[in-house]
This record gives sequence, structure tokens and C-alpha cells, in this order.
Amino acid sequence: MATLRDIKRRIVGVKNTQQITKAMKMVAAAKLRRAQDNIVSARPYSRMIRKILNNLLAVSKIAENPLTEKRNAEKIAVIIITSDRGLCGSFNMNIIREAEDMIKQEYKAQIETGNVVLYCFGKKGYEYFSKRDFKIEGNYSGVFSELKFEVASKFVNSMIHKFSKKEIDKAVIVYNKFKSVIQHDKTIEQLLPIEAADETKIENNAEVDYIYEPDKISIINSLLPKYLNSIMWQALIESYAAELGARMTAMDMATENAKELIRTLNITYNKERQASITKEILEIVSGADALKNG
Amino acid sequence: MKEIHLEIVTPSKMAFNGEILSVKVPGTKGSFQILFNHAPILSSLEIGMIKIVDVENKASYFSTSGGTLEAKNNNVILLVESLESPEEINLKRAEESMQRAKERLSSKNANLDQVRAENSLKRALNRIKLYNKIK
Repeated sequence: MATLRDIKRRIVGVKNTQQITKAMKMVAAAKLRRAQDNIVSARPYSRMIRKILNNLLAVSKIAENPLTEKRNAEKIAVIIITSDRGLCGSFNMNIIREAEDMIKQEYKAQIETGNVVLYCFGKKGYEYFSKRDFKIEGNYSGVFSELKFEVASKFVNSMIHKFSKKEIDKAVIVYNKFKSVIQHDKTIEQLLPIEAADETKIENNAEVDYIYEPDKISIINSLLPKYLNSIMWQALIESYAAELGARMTAMDMATENAKELIRTLNITYNKERQASITKEILEIVSGADALKNG
Repeated sequence: MKEIHLEIVTPSKMAFNGEILSVKVPGTKGSFQILFNHAPILSSLEIGMIKIVDVENKASYFSTSGGTLEAKNNNVILLVESLESPEEINLKRAEESMQRAKERLSSKNANLDQVRAENSLKRALNRIKLYNKIK
């Protein structure tokens, strides 16, 4: 049975924890705003690059860039974006499980021949997969503390290099897409080879008679890597915002739980206190009675 | 007024959005200038300098590491991966990276990514050039 002092000590302990979770929630909220701004300001770029690319592919009807070449998917690169830090609810576990399921279901044959390689962004994914039977080719831990476009473009550059040397045949990104503060969606996106543009979405722009400098194909060739950069960059910042959102929600819940815990502990404390007072009074009264009768 | 609308978009922000008189860009086939009523053009851009002349006839310069330009109906869209004004250029850093790139190019390393090293040298030289032009 807990003594009064034990309960008091627990209340103080829970209060301290509550203060920490509250502070973490506030920090996540402040960072989230900046991350959201990042997403919003990155959108025009990726939208325009896609638009120009789609229009180009529509008028030229060719997609004979090496980056669009569909090969027999023998060597798979899976890019997994998690977070560097914990305390964000099921954020990391969700994405890790999604990636693991996908690999085990879709790429069973490739796993057996040892042709699935992982690239982990964020420490948590690396920690999980490195303890298991997976081949990790790249570990990009700690990129989220200072997220820069160069991180994405350098990585994409190395992927393009590997793809053209046929060291990989297909690359997919698994990440959490930011939807709102309380919601993020598990997303699997194909990075390489670049899939042909969706015909229905192409804006009919073919009648504009452009001057192409130097020519259509060179422009497409120079645009495609940049398009990939923007996909990768988008995935990274979306995941980061989703992480902060998840942390905010988790810490909010923790703060609420702590509040509830403090409430019940206080009730127990008061009951206990009352009981001990009653007991003391009883003792005094019965002591006084004994004296009187004696 | 013979104004054209210019938008410069980078992955991190909308860097410029407004009316201008002319813009000069480092096209793949050579530097060229867009003025009022330019024919529709789509061009890829190289590492180099962008010169913007605003409506008050004031010129401003930026360095870029390449991108794409689309112009039609006096609307110019510049998609660039990086855009730096002379004030943003860190001369010391540019000089250091020039040195590094030169060393890498002169070393006889078989694993050397020739294109990457050359590009980083070009970027550094471009920054230094822009910096000296303004200062």
C-alpha cells in the first residue's frame, strides 16, 4: 500500500513529465509551421516543372530518355524516410511496417537473390532495418536537423548514376505524406524509372510554336533529373512536416494523459489523507476515553 | 510601357515575381536576352549569370546553377535550382570550393566524377565572377 509520501512523490514526477511533454508539443508546433511553409513554397516549382515536362512529352511523343527505360525489375532500391528522433507516436513504425510488407510481398524473389537494397533517411528506419536481415546501402541519419535541397539533389544524382549503370532497375520511395497536423498518409512513390506522364492530365498546349533551345530532347534530358530532384525533395519535406505533426499530436495526448493521471492521483492522495486523519482522531478519542474511564 | 512579367521559381521559394523590362539568361546555346514580344521559347539554362532590368531601368544580377526558361505572351518563367544575389555570395567559400575542384581535377584518381568536378568548378568561378563584378 502506497503511503502518503509515495503518492506525493508520484504526483510531482508526473507533473515534471507533463511539463516536458508540453514543452515538446510547443516546440513541434513552432517547427511545424516552418515546415508547412516549406511545403507550400516548394509546390510552385514542382508543379511548373511537371507542367513543362508534360507539355514537352506531349508534343514530342518520345520518352527515349534512359531514365524512363523500363527494365526487368531485378535489382530494387527502396528509399525509406523515417525520422531522426522518437516520441512521435506510431509515425516511424507505420512506415517501417509498410516498407517491410511491401518488400516481402512484391519483391520476394529479389530478396532471395539479395537484390533489394535499402536507403534510409532518418535514424529510426536505419536502426530498425540494420538489426534485421536487410542490405542497407545508404544511411542518411541526421539530415532533418538541417534540411537542404542539396541533400535531395545529391542523392538523386547518385541514384541516376546507379540506374544508368544498371546497378539498380527500380527505385521506390516509402514515406509519410503530410495531410494535416493530425493526419499523414503512408505513400509509396516510384522514383525510377520515370513513369510516362498521365495522358489525361496533359494540358493542351501543343499549338504554341516554341523555339526550342538547343532542342526538345536536350531540354527533356536536362529537365528529367531536375524533376526527380523535386520529387525527392518534396518527399523529404512532406515527411518532416508529418513527423512534426505526429509528434505534436503524440505529445498533446501525453500531456492529456498526465493531466488525467494527476487527477486520479490527487483523489487517491486526498482519500488517503482523510483516512489517516480519521484514524488519528479515532486513536485520540479512544485514548481519551480510556483515560476517563480509568 | 513594354513590360514583361517574370517569375523566378526555385525549389525553396518563389524568388521573384513582378514586371520587368528585360532579362538576360545563360542559355545552353549561349547567353540571350528576352525583351518585350519575344517569340515563345523553351530553353535549358547553364551555370551562369542572370541579369534583370526592372521597370526603373535598374539592373540586378544573380548567379544560378542552371535550370529552364519558358517564355510566351510576355510571360517568362524561370525554373532554377539555385539563385544567389551578389550579397548572398560567400567569396571565401567560393574560392575554397574552386581550389577543391581544381585539386580534384588535377588528381589522377580513376574514380573521379569528371562532370561533377567540372560543374563545381564552374559554379565557383561563376560566383567569384559575379562577386567581383558588383564589388
